[in-house]
Amino acid sequence: MTPFFAVVKRELASVIRDRTIVISILIQLFIASFSSALLLGMLSLYDSDTIMNFGGAGIKIGMVNSSDNTLALLMSERGITVIQYPTLSEAQFAFFSNQVSAVVDTPTDENGVTQIKLYLPELDAISSLIRMVIQEPLKQYENYLRGQKGIEVRYTDLKGKPSTSYEFVYSVLIPMLMFFPAFVSGSMSVDSLTEEVENKTLQTLLSTPLSINGMIGAKILASVILSFAQCAAWLALLQMNGIAIQNTGWILLLAIIIAGITSTSAALGAVLLQDRERSQFIYSLLLLTGAGISTLLNTSPITALSRLAIGDAYTNGWNVAVFAVFLSVLYFLLTKMSRRLLA
Amino acid sequence: MNQILVIAWREVTRLRKRFGGGASPLAVIALLVILGLSAYYLRSTVSLGSGLYRIGVFGDVPAISDSRFSVMDVDVEQGQALLEQKSIDVFINGSQVFAREDDKSQFAVRALKQYMEKQELIRVGNSFAGADAFPLRVAINYFGEDQAAEQAEAGAPLSVAKPEEVIIPSLTPPPAPFTQVLVALLYIMPITFISIFFTSSFMDEKMNRRLTILLSAPVTPFQIIFGKMLPYAIFALASTALIAGLTKTNILLALAIFAPTTLFIFAIYLMVPLFYRTFKDTTFIAMLVTTLTTAYLVFPAMFTNVNDLAYISPLALAVKMYRNEPFGWREYLFPSLPMAAIFGLAMFAGTRLLNEEFLMGYKPLTRKLSDAIYLMMAHSKPYIAVPLWSLITIPAVYMTQIVFLAFATNLPVGLILGFTLFASALVEEVVKTVGIVALAEHGVIKAWREIIGLSFLSALGFLIGEKLLLLVSISVVSQAQVSGALFGAGLLLFIPLIAHFVFSTIITVLRTKLRFPYWLALGIGTVVHFIYNVYVLRGGM
Repeated sequence: MTPFFAVVKRELASVIRDRTIVISILIQLFIASFSSALLLGMLSLYDSDTIMNFGGAGIKIGMVNSSDNTLALLMSERGITVIQYPTLSEAQFAFFSNQVSAVVDTPTDENGVTQIKLYLPELDAISSLIRMVIQEPLKQYENYLRGQKGIEVRYTDLKGKPSTSYEFVYSVLIPMLMFFPAFVSGSMSVDSLTEEVENKTLQTLLSTPLSINGMIGAKILASVILSFAQCAAWLALLQMNGIAIQNTGWILLLAIIIAGITSTSAALGAVLLQDRERSQFIYSLLLLTGAGISTLLNTSPITALSRLAIGDAYTNGWNVAVFAVFLSVLYFLLTKMSRRLLA
Repeated sequence: MNQILVIAWREVTRLRKRFGGGASPLAVIALLVILGLSAYYLRSTVSLGSGLYRIGVFGDVPAISDSRFSVMDVDVEQGQALLEQKSIDVFINGSQVFAREDDKSQFAVRALKQYMEKQELIRVGNSFAGADAFPLRVAINYFGEDQAAEQAEAGAPLSVAKPEEVIIPSLTPPPAPFTQVLVALLYIMPITFISIFFTSSFMDEKMNRRLTILLSAPVTPFQIIFGKMLPYAIFALASTALIAGLTKTNILLALAIFAPTTLFIFAIYLMVPLFYRTFKDTTFIAMLVTTLTTAYLVFPAMFTNVNDLAYISPLALAVKMYRNEPFGWREYLFPSLPMAAIFGLAMFAGTRLLNEEFLMGYKPLTRKLSDAIYLMMAHSKPYIAVPLWSLITIPAVYMTQIVFLAFATNLPVGLILGFTLFASALVEEVVKTVGIVALAEHGVIKAWREIIGLSFLSALGFLIGEKLLLLVSISVVSQAQVSGALFGAGLLLFIPLIAHFVFSTIITVLRTKLRFPYWLALGIGTVVHFIYNVYVLRGGM
């Protein structure tokens, strides 16, 4: 077993010496912060709830008086400041003297369809903001009009809490941080195997008391260890940031198994093709296919991981075991094919 | 030209050989399967939160087919019990919805609300006449900015700036560029893939030492790089044309938009084979490059029509193209010129670095970078090379600063300006001093006089480049005053020149004469620069 661990140690040492693993960690940090900034920032920019929380009362809408005040009521309920004006030209004057940001004219009836004229500022940024904020009251008004015609729309009284950041954290951020290291460790296995072949150092390595399977296994183990260290660090960091994560043990195990699967399949590709260019290409194709197929079969590791993290009542160790079985099949296949590397 | 074509043809042959025979049918089939699957995969995971919510259903409830929800049929008692046990998040009994008070359940309710709203619209739309199902029309008009105000005061009839747009609120979501950005991103993916092949081709030649032979042949490094790039570039442009054709948009316009982007991506991938030492390096560097370029291209485009800064990404132009909105020459050149300039810079660097000694050496990355800069400068006199370097790296500085600005908008408001000012001071100082430091470390310059003189020239080159760029960008980015602050919009040229000169001199002298570590010297210079920037912004000058 000693030569086996010598190879593992050498692999890890070379990664640490090259310092390029730092790049990989930086990328993960970058993607995590960037995607959360991007997604949450953008969604809050396009999410009327958030806009209302931060500056809803500051949005003033001028409304031309009419007998039907439903729309004005709905807007006030939403938290928008509504100011009434007797005529359109007075409302327009208020707009240009910056008292209101938009103007809504009196609803008119045209062949059973209610028409509203909405006047917005020409500046894109402000007009799209206003359109987002008044979308909800307009929809409620539309439902009210439907009700007047005797059409009942169900489930309109649902409220709940904005779920975007919850969905983002558990279905994107945590799976990304747990599986990105696995994706990298697969790439590393390809690199490390094909480098031995292309530099013609493989024969030398095998003249030591180490079998070909032992050598490949050691390389896979080294990349899985790296992946495990990163995942553990991310989990600790996430929990320090106050994100509740259930089933951490299972999650780590799942992350390791997935890293094993990617590394083993990457090694399989490298054994068959023996050069980096094609192996990396096939490996990235395999990753995509794997993701697609597992979704098709309804056993996506991403979903399994999100469910473990939120503490889903119907997800447990068995969902992890499925992947372990798959890993052992793959590894068995690899041990059978590994001799092709010597040919 | 002939030689370029020969090399290009040889590259095509090499690729055919490599992917011919055993791997090719496998690759093609795999590729096809993948394209189909990933399309399917992407479609079903467009919504966030796949599989997060569990819902129990009883009675007449519309079918819930959304990847976020796992639905199970339960009876009333069972449903209530499961809800109590927190095994399910929501229980729907006919048109009644039951939930718990905790967050998880409330999130599920909101997600359900969004979904049900759409389903009910479909139901209502199918079962009732149009005017009854959708009884509201909103006509959107825009008030013009200038003359309209005067007219309003004069009591004239309403004047509107754009033609009226009529919407049905429940069917028309507020404008968001997401979908078009995703379509625009489709163009980037094949270009990235193809440029990865370009990279590995170089690596392959380097491994086999064939590059060495090629270098001793009567061809210039430029011809080698250009020749090897040519087939891939044609391939990338063809894929752009193909996507444009498939998505039924103007092919020529798409090519015009994405040609500079293609060059830019190739330019960056050209750096990978020049700098890598082991295979793992390549993987990590390529990953970094992919992440950064994608972020740089996608992030600003999200703000199309929200902020003019969006135009730093050509994807913003593509979004406009898909919305059939016109854009002018200035909007086109704003993202394209810096990208083309970076391509030029990368080609120049490539021709200088393509020699055996540089390619084969194993050194720390920072050392390799310093060597690279030295090699780029060594062929001409320092007093020409240094200011020229400061001048031509401006587009790269500019792009980095814009990325910082985009990042900074996510920070707390109080920190945005400080962070951006500090980061951009840092980038500027790196660019201005790194050449001089590299030259000094290779012993080309030694005397005080030379170091101070070169610091001055570097500051001068930088300032000229900066002002040229300012001229272009100010005309496009009218709203972004911050960019004006970054590039020092002050009309007085003399004071900024002196300031830049002083900062560079501090760093170069600390490094070369007082033997400070570079990072420390850089830090000190940057802090001084930052204080100056803050002072200028406060209106001190």
